[in-house]
Amino acid sequence: MSVRKLGIIATLLARSAFGAPSASAEAVSLTPAPKPRLMSAAAAVGVWSAAQLIPSPLLVTGKEHVGGGLRWQLTPLLYSFGIAERPLRSFLISPIARHSGSIELHVSPEWACCAPSKQSSWLVRAGLRLYLPLLEHGEKLSWSLGSSYYRAVGGGGMAADLGIFTFNGVLGLNVTVSPWLTRREVVTTFMIRLF
Amino acid sequence: MRSSSVIALALSLTLPGCGFAWRALKRNLDAPAERSVAHKIVEPRRPEARLAALWVGHATVLLQLDDRFVLTDPLFAHTLAQASPRLVEPGFDPEHLPPLAAVVVSHMHFDHLSFGSLDAIEQLTPIVLVPPGVRANMPRYDFEIRELETWTSYEHEGLRVTAVPVQHVGGRYGLDAAFETRAFTGYVFEYHGLSVYFGGDTAYVPSAFQATRARFPDLSLALLPICPDTPRDFMQYTHVSPRQALDAFSLLGAKQMLPIHFDTYINSDDALGACPKELRTRMQARGLTEEQVPILTIGEQRVLIAR
Repeated sequence: MSVRKLGIIATLLARSAFGAPSASAEAVSLTPAPKPRLMSAAAAVGVWSAAQLIPSPLLVTGKEHVGGGLRWQLTPLLYSFGIAERPLRSFLISPIARHSGSIELHVSPEWACCAPSKQSSWLVRAGLRLYLPLLEHGEKLSWSLGSSYYRAVGGGGMAADLGIFTFNGVLGLNVTVSPWLTRREVVTTFMIRLF
Repeated sequence: MRSSSVIALALSLTLPGCGFAWRALKRNLDAPAERSVAHKIVEPRRPEARLAALWVGHATVLLQLDDRFVLTDPLFAHTLAQASPRLVEPGFDPEHLPPLAAVVVSHMHFDHLSFGSLDAIEQLTPIVLVPPGVRANMPRYDFEIRELETWTSYEHEGLRVTAVPVQHVGGRYGLDAAFETRAFTGYVFEYHGLSVYFGGDTAYVPSAFQATRARFPDLSLALLPICPDTPRDFMQYTHVSPRQALDAFSLLGAKQMLPIHFDTYINSDDALGACPKELRTRMQARGLTEEQVPILTIGEQRVLIAR
């Protein structure tokens, strides 16, 4: 049976079954829309994971130097006290879970210029950060306060940071102060965070 | 606002199938200032009505079923995701809302789930009903947030709300649609012999509409989206066209249809007014009257069944 004949039969059936208006000049279609083409869950995890490799640019400022660098962030664990369900999250964290109010354990590899030696350009920070919402449960605006321990070739030390975030937490500004980290005492990071 | 729009919409281009997003970006940047609504209603209770609907804009409708009020997809925000400006102000101010028997959210896209808008109604409703997977993506509120699986119901003091099948995509941030494969739904409200279908956002799925009709054979009203329509090759997976909305209306067997989800934000290639214009053309071709399919303006309230 041709597609055309099937269409006519379907139309007649639809009219009789669903009571199309008598003056109808248009038949009710019974052809469903195609299913949305979605990325597989595995692929989405892959893309989200890869998105975390996108670094945030940073600016190093000191008395006698100004320079640039890059910072990454991984979040092994986050506890959200602002979310309605499933407060514990790991690595792939929806913005509302973080910015509606949460505390996270983060690990941040960082590279910056201006270090005293080439080897100490790289360091890793690990710490706790508290996020609190300011507007619309943090989706519009939130802020953060954190402390971390950094480890570089020359040794380690403590740092504190203060941040502000917008656009669902995708964009933010974070100022990290490490008083004892020579030539890298203040680092301002333009945060780009995709989950 | 404009630079923020650029950033936000440029970021949205990381999502699949967003070739038209550049055009939407440009149109959003060129969007006119938000138009105000004259003579907003401040007392929505209509004593003479058994069934009345007030279109707040987009998918937000305040329904009066006898002495009960329900609200669909509350959205009172002036921008979507800090990116897309509203074309017309909300047609009703939330401070004038009466106590609500229930609020429903069809899915968690920014134009249907607005956390700021839920703040505005937090003390007015005991419950917000959502599809599966949404609760874990919502902040805490004073009201209960309850997930409804398809064909399951919430009942309270004579009002029954049942989740019914539709076809859309879940998620809020793009990539999470791959995980939230059930996070979208339609609803049917039943109270005192009245029954109202709310389609939220849906593609054209005859079997879903037929199955809904089989369970709810006497629908008084169907709230159906008619936009976005174009680009059709992209929208067909998730949104009915005006013509398909009328087909859905026919398949649902409802007595009246209220078109929603048009001319509030720019999220497609559709020109302002194109969707209702196309709907009117199709209505004419089918002999449907404005009595059967009243096309409201934002802020307008209509008594659909009088006492």
